[in-house]
Amino acid sequence: MQSRFYLSLMLISGLVLLMFMAFAGYRELAPEWKKYQKEYKELLVKGAKDENAKKMAKNFSVELQQLYLGDLKRVDRCTSCHIGYDNPAMANAKLPFKQHSGDYLKNHSVEKYGCTICHYGQGRAPEKDEAHAAIKATAHAAGAGAQEKQARKAAPTGEEHKVHWDFPIIPVQYIQSSCSQCHDSEFLKNKGGGKVVKGEEFFREKGCKGCHKLNSIGGDLGKALDGVGSQPIAYFPMKDVAGERNTYSWHKQHFVDPRNLVPESEMKVNVTEEEADFLATYVLSLRAEEVPKKYRRIRDIAPAAAPDGEALYKMYCIGCHTTGKESMYDEIFRRTIPSIKNPAFLKAVDDKYIKTVVTEGRAGTQMTSWKTTAAGLTEQEVDKIVSYVANDRPKDKPELFDVTKYKADTKRGEDIYKVRCALCHGKKGEGALGINLRNPVVQNADLQFLAMTARDGRANTPMPPFGKKGVGLSDQDLLDVVSYVKTLSKAKK
Amino acid sequence: MSSEAQDKSGVSRRDFLNIAAFGAAIVSALGMLAGMFRMFKANVHYEESLKFKIGKPETFPSGMSRKIDDKNLFVLSDEGGIYAITAICQHLGCTVFATEWGYQCPCHGSRYDKDGNVIGGPAPRALPWYEITQGADGNLIVDASKEVAKGTKYKFS
Repeated sequence: MQSRFYLSLMLISGLVLLMFMAFAGYRELAPEWKKYQKEYKELLVKGAKDENAKKMAKNFSVELQQLYLGDLKRVDRCTSCHIGYDNPAMANAKLPFKQHSGDYLKNHSVEKYGCTICHYGQGRAPEKDEAHAAIKATAHAAGAGAQEKQARKAAPTGEEHKVHWDFPIIPVQYIQSSCSQCHDSEFLKNKGGGKVVKGEEFFREKGCKGCHKLNSIGGDLGKALDGVGSQPIAYFPMKDVAGERNTYSWHKQHFVDPRNLVPESEMKVNVTEEEADFLATYVLSLRAEEVPKKYRRIRDIAPAAAPDGEALYKMYCIGCHTTGKESMYDEIFRRTIPSIKNPAFLKAVDDKYIKTVVTEGRAGTQMTSWKTTAAGLTEQEVDKIVSYVANDRPKDKPELFDVTKYKADTKRGEDIYKVRCALCHGKKGEGALGINLRNPVVQNADLQFLAMTARDGRANTPMPPFGKKGVGLSDQDLLDVVSYVKTLSKAKK
Repeated sequence: MSSEAQDKSGVSRRDFLNIAAFGAAIVSALGMLAGMFRMFKANVHYEESLKFKIGKPETFPSGMSRKIDDKNLFVLSDEGGIYAITAICQHLGCTVFATEWGYQCPCHGSRYDKDGNVIGGPAPRALPWYEITQGADGNLIVDASKEVAKGTKYKFS
């Protein structure tokens, strides 16, 4: 009885083992690339024009192809399936046999460069799914519609993470991000690298560095962007990314609508779909690893002229202050961003004051300190920005306010403040529609400056003139109220 | 497993079970052994391929001789065609250099004539010639793993 039980057990396990072996044997003998190469061989034989070519085609040996790239520390086996990459006869063949497009391979021989240095993907994998490592979202088509997002949340799918690889194959729309590993933008401009060059331009002109550091220069509201292009997927919240869930889609969609992917994001962007493509391409070109020197073709070009005040303003300020002509309440920052090119403001302040604000920043607000040891601007650069901001200053001198003429009464000032100022600046000066009055720049400003501001208001902003020409407060009232404002930093919140 | 089934099954059925069970075990064991031997032969190695492109045929006009340094190879061309001779001395693997009369090894003085035959020194054998084929893109491909008979020259269009 017992021996029969063990016999059956042996039979069953033997059969299971056989099954597995047959499967393993099949996988070993009929890998994906072999199927493709056999098909390619048939194509070659069919397309042979003369006897000699036919003989050569028949001699084509089906074997795993490998590009060993010692200098790049890569092993690429892509050509095992993309076997027709260098065959002009395959120019119109279907994938994976199609010849490589363009004449890129003429100067980038596959033997020297391989494939993954530009295209990413897992070079060693001899199977399509693993080599491309494309993470397809299955439940929805590409696109970032709110409706889709809802649908996805309702029916989450578990199939999206079929193969995980940090650097899946890069979609062709962002492929130019690979070019700048070896080429300078001057070269790329005319040689098929227009997207990444445009992206770099936008990056400079949309004020990205106002919040993001690059090479340790820039603001600190956002993340530093050094090497962000080769940061693996795990660094990015992929939950709400539509279409393929990889860093490439993430960057693009994050430019279109940052808060869709990162709800707490304070990033300000206002770009079209196309511009988002350029910017994503540029950002993806900011890679951490460097290709070996002998591959790089970055020429010694004369350094571009140092940016002038306007260029610097665009680079670092425009993101928040836009044109600087109007102040506006910002929904994301939940505060008013002051208009720094407003003539009324410029009339009341001198360059030294602006420079102090730029170099020291405004503690308690989003305004960063831009000195060399913080955001990394040199003093000359700050001076250029200050003089650019100040070039809208009206010629006429402001009417001074003589603070010595009156004796300030802060108790009276408090009463006036509650009636006149608290609505916009908050009960304790914490700011709402108006700016925060507790911040150090206001608190450290002299009484005369504050009194003049209160008296004359700020044209083109919600701040009206409170002096005789406006609301009608007397000079004594004004002095009382600004003296009270100066005590706000000591008051409890 | 009722006793009735056992009665009906008789000896032959038990034999079948015996044979099937042992058969399956033995076949799978043999299969695994075969699989293990398969492991000895790798599909590819982690090293540079011995097959490599050297350029288009028109870059090797008749009468030219070029050393391809990083591949340790001489590519020569005459009326008979293009041919490739290794630059690795067959004695201890130094790189030979071309002279007026053939090839000279700098290490232990081996000397070869223009066809690679040994004419002096400790070299035990002649410099091998390699197969040249033409790839689909028109580039010539040398396969340093395939030696061909001395004097094999290739004509390409």
